[in-house]
Amino acid sequence: MIDRENEEKTILEIRNLKVNFHTYRGEVKALNGVDLRLYSREVLALVGESGCGKSVTAQTLIGLLPENAHIIEGEIILKGEDILKKTKEEMRILRAEELATVFQDPMTFLNPVLTIGTQLREVFTLQKGLFVEALAIARTKGNLDFTELLNKQNSVFQTEIKPSRRETRKVVNSLCVGILRLVKLPDPERILKQYPFELSGGMRQRAMIAMALARRPSIFVADEITTALDVTIQAQILRLLKELRDKIDASTLMITHDLSVAAEVGNRIAVMYGGNVVEVASARTLFAEPLHPYTQMLLRAIPNIANPVERLESIPGTVPDMINPPPGCRFHPRCKYAMEKCAEERPKLKEVERGHEVACYLH
Amino acid sequence: MKSPAISTEKRVGSEHLLAIKDLKVWFPVKSGVLQRTIGYVKAVDGVDLNVRKGETLGLVGESGSGKTTLARAILRLTKPTEGEVYFDGTNVLKVDRQQMRKLRRRMQIIFQDPYASLDPRQTVSSILREAMEIHRVSSNKYEVNRRSLGLLRKVGLDEEHLYRFPHEFSGGQRQRIAVARALVASPDFLILDEPTSFLDVSVQASVLNLLKDLQKDLDLTYLFITHNLAVVHHMSDRVGVMYLGKIVELAEKNSIYRNPKHPYTFQLMAAIPLPEPEARRKEVLLEGDVPSPVEIPPGCRFHPRCKYATEKCKKEEPILAGRNGHLVACLYEIDFSTEEVAGEFVNV
Repeated sequence: MIDRENEEKTILEIRNLKVNFHTYRGEVKALNGVDLRLYSREVLALVGESGCGKSVTAQTLIGLLPENAHIIEGEIILKGEDILKKTKEEMRILRAEELATVFQDPMTFLNPVLTIGTQLREVFTLQKGLFVEALAIARTKGNLDFTELLNKQNSVFQTEIKPSRRETRKVVNSLCVGILRLVKLPDPERILKQYPFELSGGMRQRAMIAMALARRPSIFVADEITTALDVTIQAQILRLLKELRDKIDASTLMITHDLSVAAEVGNRIAVMYGGNVVEVASARTLFAEPLHPYTQMLLRAIPNIANPVERLESIPGTVPDMINPPPGCRFHPRCKYAMEKCAEERPKLKEVERGHEVACYLH
Repeated sequence: MKSPAISTEKRVGSEHLLAIKDLKVWFPVKSGVLQRTIGYVKAVDGVDLNVRKGETLGLVGESGSGKTTLARAILRLTKPTEGEVYFDGTNVLKVDRQQMRKLRRRMQIIFQDPYASLDPRQTVSSILREAMEIHRVSSNKYEVNRRSLGLLRKVGLDEEHLYRFPHEFSGGQRQRIAVARALVASPDFLILDEPTSFLDVSVQASVLNLLKDLQKDLDLTYLFITHNLAVVHHMSDRVGVMYLGKIVELAEKNSIYRNPKHPYTFQLMAAIPLPEPEARRKEVLLEGDVPSPVEIPPGCRFHPRCKYATEKCKKEEPILAGRNGHLVACLYEIDFSTEEVAGEFVNV
């Protein structure tokens, strides 16, 4: 559990983010004013159906939007700076040091012709600060425990003597082994020598998580990381995320389409619909007292083993066409409580209770 | 909440519509210049299964467990290596093409991906017409049209959708079209191979409801294949669990979810993420990965991942057997009652 004071510390704030995509059919209004805050050391699960804009939000955050996308307005404040104003090169450094991302399919992000060890060592070679700290610890204590290094200490350790090549190799190697242990990969020494194709899906995903954590990021973006995995492997990865939640000094933005997965690891959950965040609350509150009609209907649409029903409730209509989205609240054509006002103006996200925000005129 | 009015409507008979006996589907692994067979991928490796008339039998398992291969073998879309499949008394694997075509009218399949299973160059009307021609349902233009319209209405679509192309539909609507096409020849038996895994949750609910309604209206028997344990729980009467090409446990739904007897099933149930952040349950997670179906472990195929495994498990292969319709393939009777499973969690 995160403590109260930390919870209040906002480390990332997305304000009124609007992103469009040029397509031959017209402008796709993918994000329509997204507001989102990420608190320090929490796991925020961003949930929504396909096309709701959850992945576009993540792509904007890490600065990897496709060519045909353009940001209409909005700002993303990370540590007091608007990262949307940064240059490509500055974003590249930011991704290397602050914003680590793990995607759905690890095979497309791991280099198939290099061993896991080579790829992991590369990460550590680029992390000068971490290496210096590790070197100092290795010299004073002899052995190295990666958990000690997980939290950035901004090089309190200083060292004058330049390490020999042999010493460097030894330190980097023990860092690699340490981080693979942290993500619970069995037999790390052997895995360092293996190629990605030799690992199973779950192991590859662990290796990706290790590479992301090796950068000691302040924000860890997990984009559908368990979607391609089987239930038992998914459960293992979710357990790992839960354990890491308390160990690492990062906030996690977890993107998923699966509400159950969000319930398993998220401290807070943000629900997106049609390019907007429609409700944000603690996981507990969101499931106990959902306020937005969409959230309410979504919760009744998923089969729950613990509470079986004969018939599921389905949401009438279809997901909105993002080229010609409905005016006002984008959910209003499917909403049974829709009023005149809903078709005219988009409701803003407002706090109705402490920590519970909802974008709906009913509240 | 089960209302009695609904549950009595569905007629589950005691006779078997489909009986599978020791079915094996092995794919050869070839290697070298001479392409010699060096081994087999034992996708389905001795499955015995009976499907009762009017029921929904759910088949769950992780990827690579052989669920889809089993489904394809039942319809003879993949040639089985060994074994027998009886559909309403006829051995499907022995009949000639003519008879097979007749049988296929009665057994249909709906695939996972509604984007791939509909021809993008045909309108809905021509997709349905083609199916009617193949199954010799009707060739009269007026009759074909009348039937097509009836089918579309049955799956919740309308006349206006008849002359559109698949790309004009959403995923959920496409799956409805695939269902309509499967119903063309009024089948008795439908294999649903992951019918909702491509759909969003809000749409998934409506397709699942449609499938339940159709089953009641048309007295259909379903073999429902999925990896989603919550969906299979919602849809099925009985559930079979597959592991590495074999069924390891088969029982009535509530029995298998509340009282699993195979260690694999038990751990599978514990791995289901619940949409309840309050639910606290004992973590009994399965370690390791599914072994390769080329090198199936000797003895009980689950033993390398089983924490209860003994020396005996490494040598002796358990058979699927049990009392009161709860069948399990395990050499031991293990009491999991000290550990909690999904469905019986405690609220804190």
